[in-house]
Amino acid sequence: MRHGKYRFIVSFLAVPLGLYVLFVVSPNVQALIYSFTDWSGYSDEINFVGLDNYARLLADETFWIALRNNAVLLVVLPVVTIALGLLFAYLINVGGARRGVVATGLRGSKFYSAVFFFPYLLSVAIIAILWRQAYSPRGGPVPKTMAAVGVDPPTDGLLGSPETALWAVIGVAVWHAVGFYVVLFTAGLAAIPRDVFEAAALDGANRFTVFFRITLPLLWDNVQVAFVYLGIIALDFFAIVNIMTPHPEAISNSTEVVAHYLYTRAFSGDINPQYGYASAIGVALFFLTLTLAAVMFRVTRREQVELG
Amino acid sequence: MAAVRYEAATRRYPGSERAAVDALDLEIEDGEFLVLIGPSGCGKSTSLRMLAGLEPLDEGAIRIGDRDVTNLPPKQRDIAMVFQNYALYPHMTVAENMGFALKIAGKPKSEIKQRVAEAAKLLDLEPYLDRKPKALSGGQRQRVAMGRAIVREPQVFLMDEPLSNLDAKLRVSTRTQIAALQRRLGTTTVYVTHDQVEAMTMGDRVALLKDGVLQQCDTPRALYDKPANTFVAGFIGSPAMNLHTAKITDGGVSIAGVTIPVSRTTLDAAAAEGADSIVLGFRPESLEIVSADTQPPGFPATVQVVEELGSDAFCYTTLPGHDAAEGAGGVDVIARVDPRTPPRKGETLYLRIRPEEAHAFSTVTGNRLPS
Repeated sequence: MRHGKYRFIVSFLAVPLGLYVLFVVSPNVQALIYSFTDWSGYSDEINFVGLDNYARLLADETFWIALRNNAVLLVVLPVVTIALGLLFAYLINVGGARRGVVATGLRGSKFYSAVFFFPYLLSVAIIAILWRQAYSPRGGPVPKTMAAVGVDPPTDGLLGSPETALWAVIGVAVWHAVGFYVVLFTAGLAAIPRDVFEAAALDGANRFTVFFRITLPLLWDNVQVAFVYLGIIALDFFAIVNIMTPHPEAISNSTEVVAHYLYTRAFSGDINPQYGYASAIGVALFFLTLTLAAVMFRVTRREQVELG
Repeated sequence: MAAVRYEAATRRYPGSERAAVDALDLEIEDGEFLVLIGPSGCGKSTSLRMLAGLEPLDEGAIRIGDRDVTNLPPKQRDIAMVFQNYALYPHMTVAENMGFALKIAGKPKSEIKQRVAEAAKLLDLEPYLDRKPKALSGGQRQRVAMGRAIVREPQVFLMDEPLSNLDAKLRVSTRTQIAALQRRLGTTTVYVTHDQVEAMTMGDRVALLKDGVLQQCDTPRALYDKPANTFVAGFIGSPAMNLHTAKITDGGVSIAGVTIPVSRTTLDAAAAEGADSIVLGFRPESLEIVSADTQPPGFPATVQVVEELGSDAFCYTTLPGHDAAEGAGGVDVIARVDPRTPPRKGETLYLRIRPEEAHAFSTVTGNRLPS
């Protein structure tokens, strides 16, 4: 029986594991191998160069800028998105102030949750194009609005100026992602018994106190998950950058991110393809992601709170 | 500490035509233990939540002491509530749960610690102060919820079926503890329950609600002895009072062809309403078994089931002419009998109502008729 059980398990695991090794593990290993070569990617000329690519990487200013931008994203994107997501979810579900009713949503909260979620339904490519138009210095609604409220938009456009480009791109990413986290936190809030909020109201807590002393601690598990998701998005961030600012080098690399830099080294037609070097960037990104994941799980680990 | 007054307090849920609480007038004295009781959906919890400020009033007012709190938010009412599911903060320890209100109020740490310690001592919670609610038993959680209310030293305690999640044995002991604690603290308490034993044993007075309307508010004894209408009569007491529609005859009413004497005043009151019958109510323990030829006579009843509870035995009987269409479960009269010599099934008994222990209600309004 025991023997039969293992055969049964193996028969189920073999196929997916094989596919995983073939399509996920082996390319990673290949990339590691190529990172020690000077292969261009398109010729059959390939020479082992040892750690040359990595030495070059350490001295590559653009790579460090890209890394710094990823670091900014890694902090700003999760913090802003989670803060907004929590705020909206709280207001929609329990933060309302109807007379004599505790723990209810704002008026029209159903409508708001639909509105917040809507951007998440669109593909990133569509959103990036949409916002490129919105940011356009030639009649885009965002610069127009800025001018209307007395803030001069940069003449080269929000995406064309090194000072604003990264923030403009982050704004789009937040706008896109926040709806999902509103839904995530709404589900988390729904799991908290209503009478806990009522008890807090009777204990004299105002909305501010309820949020920081009750809601946030009880949603901590969800916040943790959100941090991991958004961290992954921040480390990648290829799509929006590639569509909204296809040439970051034109704006002092202010929106360059590691994934996009890797892509331009390997595939952009503007320079000679450097597959070996791109692989080295990829390997660096792989280890950075791994480190970050380990750090995040350590930092956010906390005693689980059981509801009910 | 303070008195509480409901003044024609009304709550209508949106989309519902009937008021959940309809013009409730109720006065709870300072230090009194008042129990709100009634069947499911009678508005007892809503009434309590209105007092807590968790439910708005559509009409009327609520006063605590001499303050009109009708439009005040919960935190300004100086009340503490014990919830049915305790509503403890899952991420805080027992001590933090109990001290939360004081912490928000900005009380110094030493005072919080002292007051929490006092309450913990009172409730035997000292060994658990550093535990989270999930590491406590149901009874301990219930005590933490009590402690959270006590620590606040509020003017009024509100309790919403605080014992309904405990097992039967624990419920009995906690019932006594809560009642004793309330006497000791002397804090005005409004207690909601659907359990009439809790109501009868704990309350100074009991208010019985039905469909959002107050039926009667009086001491447990008075509620039992002088129910204001047939609903109260049938609700309070277990097994329920026998309620029997009986034709008025000369000098009394007729049950199973036997005339039961009823006072002139009562009959006149019924006649004034144009009724030719009254609802006669008598409790199972108000019946005595007599022999067939005793004077005044008892009415005949056939034993269907005998329930022996040890200390008591109850006979479920049918009267002659019992409508068989009601099925085998149909019972006309329940009588308490001597548990040592219970009658046999199928036996015919002669039952007589002890003098002065019959209640008369109007068939028209259901209200108690004067005797």
